[in-house]
Amino acid sequence: MSQEQSVQLTVDGREVSVPAGSTIMEAVRKLGEIEVPHFCWHPGLSVAGVCRFCMVKIEGVPKLQIACNTEVREGMAVDTIAADVKEAHKWALEFHLINHPLDCPICDQAGECELQNYYMKVGKYTSQMDEDKVLKPKALDVGDTLVLDTERCILCSRCVRFEDEITKTSTLGIFNRGDRAVIGTFPDRRIQHNYSYNLADICPVGAFTAKDFRFQCRVWFLKESESICPGCSTGCNVKVFQNGNSREYFRLKPLENPEVNGHWMCDYGRTQFEHLNVKDRLVSPLGADNSALSWSDAAARFGELVKSQAGADNGKVALVLTPQHTNEEFSAIFSHLKSQLGREPEVFVWREATEERDSFDGILFRGDRNPNTRGLEDTLKELGVSAKECSGLKDVGLSQAQLAVVLGPEVERAYPSLETDLAVLREMPAVVYFGNHRSQAAAGLSLRVPTLVFTEKEGTYVNHAGLKQTLKANARVMPSLKSLTEFLGGA
Amino acid sequence: MAVVNVTRNPEKSLKNGYLATSLVGLGTTLKTFTKQLFRLEESNTVQWPEVEYKYSDRFKGAHFLTKRPDGKVRCTACFLCATNCPAQCITIVAGESPDKGVEKYPVRFEIDILRCVFCGYCEEACPVDAIRMGHEYSMAGLAEDKWVYTKDYLLNREAITQTLGEKQVSEKDENVKHDSVESGLPGIHRK
Amino acid sequence: MPLIKREYNGKSPEDFRLVLDFEGMENPQGIDAYKSKKGYEALTAVLKEKRKPDDLIQLVKDSGLRGRGGAGFPTGLKWGFVPKDAPEKYLLCNFDEGEPGTYKDRYITEISPHMLVEGMVISAYAFGAAKSYVYLRGEFYDEIGWTEKAIREAYDAGFLGENILGSGFTHHMDVYTGSGAYICGEETAMISSLEGKKGQPKLKPPFPAVAGYLGKPTVVNNVETLAVVPWIVRNGAEAYRAFGTEKSPGTKLFNLSGPVKNPGCFEVPLGYPLKRFIEEEGGGLLDGKKLKAVIPGGASAPVLTAEEVENITLDYECLQAAGSMLGSGAVIVIPEDVSMVDVLDNLMHFFKSESCGQCTPCREGTGWLGSMAHSLAAGHGQASDVERVAAIASQMAGKTICAFSDAAAGPAMSIVQKFPHEFQSRFG
Repeated sequence: MSQEQSVQLTVDGREVSVPAGSTIMEAVRKLGEIEVPHFCWHPGLSVAGVCRFCMVKIEGVPKLQIACNTEVREGMAVDTIAADVKEAHKWALEFHLINHPLDCPICDQAGECELQNYYMKVGKYTSQMDEDKVLKPKALDVGDTLVLDTERCILCSRCVRFEDEITKTSTLGIFNRGDRAVIGTFPDRRIQHNYSYNLADICPVGAFTAKDFRFQCRVWFLKESESICPGCSTGCNVKVFQNGNSREYFRLKPLENPEVNGHWMCDYGRTQFEHLNVKDRLVSPLGADNSALSWSDAAARFGELVKSQAGADNGKVALVLTPQHTNEEFSAIFSHLKSQLGREPEVFVWREATEERDSFDGILFRGDRNPNTRGLEDTLKELGVSAKECSGLKDVGLSQAQLAVVLGPEVERAYPSLETDLAVLREMPAVVYFGNHRSQAAAGLSLRVPTLVFTEKEGTYVNHAGLKQTLKANARVMPSLKSLTEFLGGA
Repeated sequence: MAVVNVTRNPEKSLKNGYLATSLVGLGTTLKTFTKQLFRLEESNTVQWPEVEYKYSDRFKGAHFLTKRPDGKVRCTACFLCATNCPAQCITIVAGESPDKGVEKYPVRFEIDILRCVFCGYCEEACPVDAIRMGHEYSMAGLAEDKWVYTKDYLLNREAITQTLGEKQVSEKDENVKHDSVESGLPGIHRK
Repeated sequence: MPLIKREYNGKSPEDFRLVLDFEGMENPQGIDAYKSKKGYEALTAVLKEKRKPDDLIQLVKDSGLRGRGGAGFPTGLKWGFVPKDAPEKYLLCNFDEGEPGTYKDRYITEISPHMLVEGMVISAYAFGAAKSYVYLRGEFYDEIGWTEKAIREAYDAGFLGENILGSGFTHHMDVYTGSGAYICGEETAMISSLEGKKGQPKLKPPFPAVAGYLGKPTVVNNVETLAVVPWIVRNGAEAYRAFGTEKSPGTKLFNLSGPVKNPGCFEVPLGYPLKRFIEEEGGGLLDGKKLKAVIPGGASAPVLTAEEVENITLDYECLQAAGSMLGSGAVIVIPEDVSMVDVLDNLMHFFKSESCGQCTPCREGTGWLGSMAHSLAAGHGQASDVERVAAIASQMAGKTICAFSDAAAGPAMSIVQKFPHEFQSRFG
């Protein structure tokens, strides 16, 4: 069968056309309006067909069939709402729940648990279970990032398939048989790879929970927004979870995008919420003596520093950019300096000295820990600027510039040699440093101005493949914070 | 907005007027006063604070936390009370319990009693019978910190431990797990 | 012992010796004993005459031979599903005889393991497999030895190995021992186990005939099925069809167990009356007990009441029509003094411990039925429990990857439906 051949079928009377060889589940997903309940099927993994939840009725077929492994045929009529299908769904849920501990009060998954969701959607039965539940080990330490509760597990085998197919680490297996079957790691193996949190994501129940989110916050307090991960040049699409009241960020999860990251993201990317919270943020401009300045004072001081270098016969001005900001910010600060100075500043692209820029782990994670390397190149080309790329800041120090305007890294962890580089800046006559970290690393520079982080600003990142992606702005953790353009507008 | 014009009815003004109704009220007072003076009727007044009024068992007074039979807090920090609270006066910080059979427990459990509206939804929401509303109603005080009831205060204050005694211990067994939770798998151990 | 007692359908008992021909011989296991009774003649003829594989498949199709492991799938049809042009194909012999009450395959090996080896080589030739495995139950220590010895002798005699009998056909055979899981008798679970994975059935499609062992086309046949192939090749399809019924031709080994006077393994033509089988071959029940029920095809077959047994003939169609199945041919007789509540408890305990745990309805359902049957047997039950057993069983059936769930649900449902009065007396 060729790829172009398509098959026409109806699901609950609605017509849908899918490529030949697709399954009913894929057809239903394409249709979008109908949901066939499922646990073990996952769009990013192979078909296991073990939960037996996605039962549908096919006209002319005596027994109910599973939607995830039944190939579509021309003219097939699928029924997902017939009485016996609904009955089958209820019983499938009952079978899943009879040995489930129902410890929702202490389970982090509660609120986003498929068992809970499906109980409300297709369940709502009175349980027939009157026997003792099977007890299994709980709260096991299976890796640096995950806690495993085998009692909550419904043995859908998503995690086993993820380890076998995506990371190819094969740490997990299902041991024993019958209702004693239990998920676990092989002897003396731990889940140690850069994609471990995905296991907590794909787990439809609370069997795998993330250690960094364990007991931190109930999910129903969290507000979800879409963004782009700033961890590396892959630019995975992410969902950012923030407490609706306190604005505190708690976690990142991957957002499905087949063009960029598919269904997954790496553990390094998951930690990109840590620098967003107010406890680590620089919240007001600081002067050379580390004293807080008002925004208007800071803008005035910045204006003076730039003005003092204006005119063709004055000293050099260096504009140091890290590829961690948006295209719009790059061009805004360049244009501002150019108009204020009456000439172009000398532009440097600051790259981490120790980076292995071209390394790639084969899945998602790239050695270029900057989300916008391509975007910076493109923006500079557009502005017609030839920039000097430097590894570390030695070259900037040697450039004899009288004033350096530095757009520092948003994710300081991506710049392990930050201390050494900032020491270079401290030697210079005047430095305006834009950064978002409260850390003391940049202390002592002439002026430090807080910047916004990726979740708080609108703008464009261009990933390693040249794909333009747009950031959406959330509320700022501190309402007083100003964006770079707002700050420059006041200067 | 519509305006309703009310015209005074002169016929009723004498019967319903201020002076007439005041006199009727004074009459009732005098009648009751006289009856009670000569002990013809029982008085409803309680000589508080010398005499404490006893409310019914269903009275919803100040909160307390119940205990497990071993004396530990029953609360599992599920946040359902905090979620359900219309006044948002409950603050919980959850943590890993040192107890083997109990995974999660509240490191902090605080009720801002000044914001509390005593609706009792926290009691209703609790899946493990950990928070109840007691009979205390005299909660006046001066010290500033007393308005936020801490976990220790909710669990161990004298008024509760003395008046309730064993009743503070709830033996419902939902949140205490079986001993068999220890892993049977090689190389995997409970945290 | 394997012979039927008296004339049946105009044939004498001696005529019904297709598989158990060597029974009663002195030392029948060796290759010489086997050769003395036309052993390896069929294979020699096939290879010397260079018979077309397709003709062999057609021959088996014509003979109407159906899989003897339990499902009764036509063997020739199964071979025909294998893609002709696939470079690598496998034949697996299902010797994981785990169905409670069944001991026919081990009996075949005990008497004439060479019959199996010859049948396997012919079958492999028919669809072009160069390698075959005998998947043997791990606990069958003796049978492992006998089968391995027969394979060694066949290699030495040139019936196995490279270029067999100068025909250019190469075939190798190995024994693989399982670890005693009932589910590994299911063909795809056996393939998983053989691949070194956890023994649990694979999702179908793809079927093993297309993608089986190591993803290559694979045919899995029961020992008895393969052992009868040389006879069919020697005597032709018509001769085979002379036995049995229209839709169930041939003979089959039946294992009679329970309190009968003469239990054992009998070769019986299909279509044989069940009542006569128990009364004459089995010699009736011990101590003159009355018959209460019969499990006609191993633990996974729904039970038949004594009244139903009257009109049952031992063939695929009749038992299916009666709501049960021929299965592996293990006839288990239940006398009047055994409570069906205990039978249910026993069976459900078996299914609870043998479910592979892959599909949810089976994993949870067998466990649930197991504990319910146990509490019913212990006298803690009530009327609603019996209804629940039926409800759970009906929801387990037909919902899983393999037939194990149906195998557990069938007996459970038939017992609670056919013997409700026995449960009432046990309610606590």
